[in-house]
Amino acid sequence: MAGANTADPTAGSGGGMLGALDRGVHRIEKLTALLSGFGVFALMLIGVAQVLSRKFINWPIYGYIDIVEIMMSFLVFMGLAYTERLGGHIRMELILTFLPKRLVNLFEVISVLVGLFVVGVLTYYTWTHALRSYTSGDSTMDAQIVLWPSKLIVSLSLALLFIRLLIALWGYGRLLLSPGAVPYGVPELIDVEEQARRDAAAADDLVMDSPETQR
Amino acid sequence: MIDLGLSKDAIGIIGCVALMVLVFLGVRVYVAAAIVGILGIVPLIGWDAGAGLVGTIPHSKSVNYTLSVLPLFILIGYLAFHAGMTQALFDAAKKWLGWLPGGLAIATIFAVAGFSAVSGAATAAAAVFARVAIPEMLKAGYDRRMAAGVTASGATLDSLIPPSAIMVVYAIIVEASIGKLLIAGFIPGLISALCYCLIVIVWSKWNPAVGRPITGFTWRERFASLPGTLPVILVVIIIFASMLFGWATPTEAGALGAFVVFIAALLNRMKLKQLNDALLETAKLTVMIFAIIWGILIFVRFLGFAGVPEHFSEWVVSLPAPPWAIMLGILFVYLVLGCFMDGIGMLLLTLPVFYPAVIKLGYDPIWFGIVVVKMTGVCLLTPPIGLSCFVVAAVRRDIPLADVFRGTLPFVLADFLAIGIFMVWPELITWLPDQMIR
Repeated sequence: MAGANTADPTAGSGGGMLGALDRGVHRIEKLTALLSGFGVFALMLIGVAQVLSRKFINWPIYGYIDIVEIMMSFLVFMGLAYTERLGGHIRMELILTFLPKRLVNLFEVISVLVGLFVVGVLTYYTWTHALRSYTSGDSTMDAQIVLWPSKLIVSLSLALLFIRLLIALWGYGRLLLSPGAVPYGVPELIDVEEQARRDAAAADDLVMDSPETQR
Repeated sequence: MIDLGLSKDAIGIIGCVALMVLVFLGVRVYVAAAIVGILGIVPLIGWDAGAGLVGTIPHSKSVNYTLSVLPLFILIGYLAFHAGMTQALFDAAKKWLGWLPGGLAIATIFAVAGFSAVSGAATAAAAVFARVAIPEMLKAGYDRRMAAGVTASGATLDSLIPPSAIMVVYAIIVEASIGKLLIAGFIPGLISALCYCLIVIVWSKWNPAVGRPITGFTWRERFASLPGTLPVILVVIIIFASMLFGWATPTEAGALGAFVVFIAALLNRMKLKQLNDALLETAKLTVMIFAIIWGILIFVRFLGFAGVPEHFSEWVVSLPAPPWAIMLGILFVYLVLGCFMDGIGMLLLTLPVFYPAVIKLGYDPIWFGIVVVKMTGVCLLTPPIGLSCFVVAAVRRDIPLADVFRGTLPFVLADFLAIGIFMVWPELITWLPDQMIR
């Protein structure tokens, strides 16, 4: 869960068109996730500024709550596809890790198809939601910030996730047809032991990195 | 309206079963919850109204000022790894508590609990302290099962002590006060730690060879060890005091806490690459938690239309058993579920149905929050997927997994003891949040 878990899963070359597509889309995904991360960092800075300015010069930031709410939408949706690619969304792997490979790939395909349906429906209906907001021109209560961009980002992030799931469908479909093939474009399925090994390795890195333990 | 000739109750129950089946097949929880929600709402109110309604949920449920505390708590966690305070925490705890029977193990409990509270990642904290604390305990001749057990279980105290992301998730789903829950976790966290200490003390009194006291530190050395632990203490105090005295909103307190840890990380010479990675991880975890929140809230909307929570709680209340027995039953369900899935997923999948019933039985929302969050800690320690134990075994190749689980067992019993204490004296949980100003 924590530590240096951000190794690029698409590193390297190969995989033909699927691999190239995976790498190309991942570049966009990583950028959106990084923007979201910097957004959280900005949220921290604004929060500190708000507290200090309210406590010491009794002058709260104008529209602070509105600004935070607008930012939230970008923070919590932009990284959707990135998280999917890194296998970061919660699921129950326990049963899958006991099944034969072919069955796992079948379940993965079904899982992705279900995902495509949900994400497709949501992309469309969050889009109409944003469109309504654009035509009615609604805005936040205090600072009168227009709301449609924060609604549009939901739809755009879901659209990117849809593309990511299409790539995963290709990836798993390929594995279903030839189970021995090298996987491309899909997150790895790891069991609890492998997860623990990675957490342990990440902790090693952190303890080594830290100057205090180098003494 | 599409008429399938089914009653609302039947549609509701089919929905709940379908959700469990999808989750067991490995469908991502947010996708499983959302598809059941969509396909469930549509027969009840029609496609256009249903899908249109569902389309508003992700934005309206995520974009809310009170929820903005969550990404900040997550940021605190990832920055904490670069603040270099693990060794300092262990040194300080050793100097202050080492004289007790099993002193190094007790020191480990407090150090790993402090670090995991701030880092918010129990398993990662267990991994770090398996490297920092276990070698020292083994060198001092401590029993390896005890050494592994305290490290794995001490790490799970993170969910109770502020800043706790999972506590915020509970508050979001049941619409309880985030501030109250954050302060409420403090005393139960301490009681849980003391229950762990009790185990260590009894174990080392019974067989002094497993954990000898470590003595010989001067008061000067003790006080000199404190500054290194400052980031942890500051973060906990900032959040705790802001809530208790109403100095700042949870979001503002989260921002201040993150800033303190950020400064500590800078002083510890965090590199730009590390900040970059910490921000990417923050984004990933934030997105993951919010996806499952809005996914579940789509499902909850469907449950509401179908009247499931209402009918389930009526049924639960009509059971011919006293509330405490029903509560034990519910906790048992969590114990079993915890053997198969992780804490956040477990809470989000069950709370929409369980919570209204628990309230109808007369339990306090804050009290229940603390107890179920405590259960998510327990499920990191129980086989077959007690991740905290796996992590300790992965770091310490010389301690077999079975020994880690065996060493952890007494501490799981201590967790049950703590939960028993909370059931008998619920005021231990509800008293402190009632003192909140405002």
